Amino acid sequence: MSEEEHQHPTSHYVKIWAILLVLLAVSVTGPMLEIQWVTLLTAFGIAGVKAYMVAVKFMHIDQTPRFVTYLVTTTLVFMLLFFAGTAPDVMKDHGTNWEKPAWIAAEAAYAAGEVSHEPEHH
Amino acid sequence: MAESIPVGHGSDDADHGEHGGHHEMTFGEKYIFPLDHKMISMQYMFTGMFMAIIGGFFAYAFRMQLAFPGMEVPGWGHVSPADYNSLVTNHGTIMIFWVAMPVLIAAFGNYLIPLMIGADDMVFPKINRLSYQIFLLSAVIILAAFFVEGGAFGGAWTAYPPLSTKAEYNLTPLGQTFWIVAVALEFVAFLLGGINFITTAMNSRAPGMKMWDIPMVVWMIVIASILFMLSVGPLLAGGIMMIFDQQVGTAFFDPDQGGDPVLWQHLFWFFGHPEVYVVLLPAVGIVAEVITVFSRKKLFGYKTILYTAIGTGVLSFTVWAHHQFISGIDPRMANVFTVTTLLISVPIAEMMFVYIATLYGGSITLTTPMLWALSFIFEFLIGGITGIFLGASGNDIFLHDTYFVLAHFHYTFYPIAIIGTFAGFTFWFPKMFGRMMNDGLGKLHFWLTVIPFNLIFLPLFVLGTAGQHRRIFDYTNFPDLALPWMQDLRVLATVSLCVMLGAQLIFFYNVITSWMSGPTAGKNPWNSNTLEWTATSPPPHGNWPEGLPTCYRGPYEYSVEGRESDFWPQDEPA
Repeated sequence: MSEEEHQHPTSHYVKIWAILLVLLAVSVTGPMLEIQWVTLLTAFGIAGVKAYMVAVKFMHIDQTPRFVTYLVTTTLVFMLLFFAGTAPDVMKDHGTNWEKPAWIAAEAAYAAGEVSHEPEHH
Repeated sequence: MAESIPVGHGSDDADHGEHGGHHEMTFGEKYIFPLDHKMISMQYMFTGMFMAIIGGFFAYAFRMQLAFPGMEVPGWGHVSPADYNSLVTNHGTIMIFWVAMPVLIAAFGNYLIPLMIGADDMVFPKINRLSYQIFLLSAVIILAAFFVEGGAFGGAWTAYPPLSTKAEYNLTPLGQTFWIVAVALEFVAFLLGGINFITTAMNSRAPGMKMWDIPMVVWMIVIASILFMLSVGPLLAGGIMMIFDQQVGTAFFDPDQGGDPVLWQHLFWFFGHPEVYVVLLPAVGIVAEVITVFSRKKLFGYKTILYTAIGTGVLSFTVWAHHQFISGIDPRMANVFTVTTLLISVPIAEMMFVYIATLYGGSITLTTPMLWALSFIFEFLIGGITGIFLGASGNDIFLHDTYFVLAHFHYTFYPIAIIGTFAGFTFWFPKMFGRMMNDGLGKLHFWLTVIPFNLIFLPLFVLGTAGQHRRIFDYTNFPDLALPWMQDLRVLATVSLCVMLGAQLIFFYNVITSWMSGPTAGKNPWNSNTLEWTATSPPPHGNWPEGLPTCYRGPYEYSVEGRESDFWPQDEPA
């Protein structure tokens, strides 16, 4: 494949940028509906799509050798692995012979109704 | 007669830069700001050796304190508790990040990759130069910390918070931040270098050199660079968070304010354990090159070693929390990490068997590099086997943070960083400097290094099993740990260390005298197959000015039946 065939025209990048802007607008408005599944889908789902488009189009993963795609995919797998191995510890307020006093106090205050999780009540 | 092609297919800018052979290079261009991969390799090599002397001196100072508590240590003076913390912290940090990595990966990678794959230089020589310059800056910063208020960081090389994030605990308000900045810069340097190694090995091989014709040490450095690239991100991110905790007042790792100190341990060891294999693999590759040449045999199971290394690399990302068994991690995760830790010993054992199979039936010559290579196998096995003890979480509860752990990781890192380096340095010395080293002095240096090494760390296994905890300044404060026999073992370890450090003078004497007046080496003094031995010794800028070599076969065709000669260089047509 020649050099020219490897390169996209500028309009291609503008098009991708426009799509990203639209997706950004959707991800901002989605949570405003205050429906949990819509919030999850528009916040995390669209974030994933945007990250994919940036990596593939703007970082030119679609134009690099297969080897680079494997490397990038491997980093994603390792990131998930890291989250999976770390979450059982860092997502808890206590464990074997330890606890997080600030978390426990915050949760107790929330349970007692002293604090609401609604941001505007803070 | 070997075929050759014109110089210039390797690097993009080597022939067009200021060193392109269009004018005589000035001293500064050649030695201070070089683009030549060999000179950059020498910069890494000698900076690494300088840092090794500093790291070794630190070990001497704190071991003297342990053997003879309270004495004035010759060359240092009185070792205060704060000094002790700084010394052990920086000994560990320097030996791993400023000795093992620059020498094994950067120095050998820079020197060997272009020469062994038949290229005239790295594909990005200027990035290569930048890599060393950043590395040098990082070395200056880690050492400068000793001269700032409060002294160098004293929160241990693993920098666990809250000790590392609160100056009122570690007593080194500036040193703690110098440490992170230095480590982060050092990682940037190796990322730049690693990109160069991977790209060069993938794109600049000699015509005819297929994947399975690449020498094992080149493969190992490439795999190590990929492992480093994949693992370093979390620690760099964690380092930034830690600087914020230290200097800005955030609380990422402060449990009193909702942070999580165990998160740092995860971030550190997710990098830290693959790091062991980042430095191990190049040493394994060096040993592979040495034992094939000096047993005159084909490397047994070339693809086996390669797949094993890749498998080890993948598995190395699944074992990190075995460092945290007593940090209060979820016990279910401890089970998982025990299993993966025991699993990773399988591919490493496989590598060792492959080496033994290569040696079996070979025509073995016990030269100095071969002695180092054989001792690597022997000593690393001790480190590996004791690692299995620690990998079992139940056993680790008792042994954690004792000198058993310390002896274990010195039995892994020492063979890698010191023995592996000496194997490679003595093997490629004739190529690097065009002269042969004195073999008698080399062997004397070998025995006076390896025997004391064992006398330092075997007693520490015993002390660790007896309950001697790490990071204690003066054991006389703990009656159970101040028994006479324990103190005798501490003295034995310290005296052995002094002997071992003194023996390095023989090495430096040998290097200088051999470099100045050793017998001329010629192109291929070991009758080796790989392409670097077809260049002149030392190779000129561009490596093969008469034209780059062509590769016709794999690198380990020794003692091939039907051939008069017992070696078959890669560039010799059939």
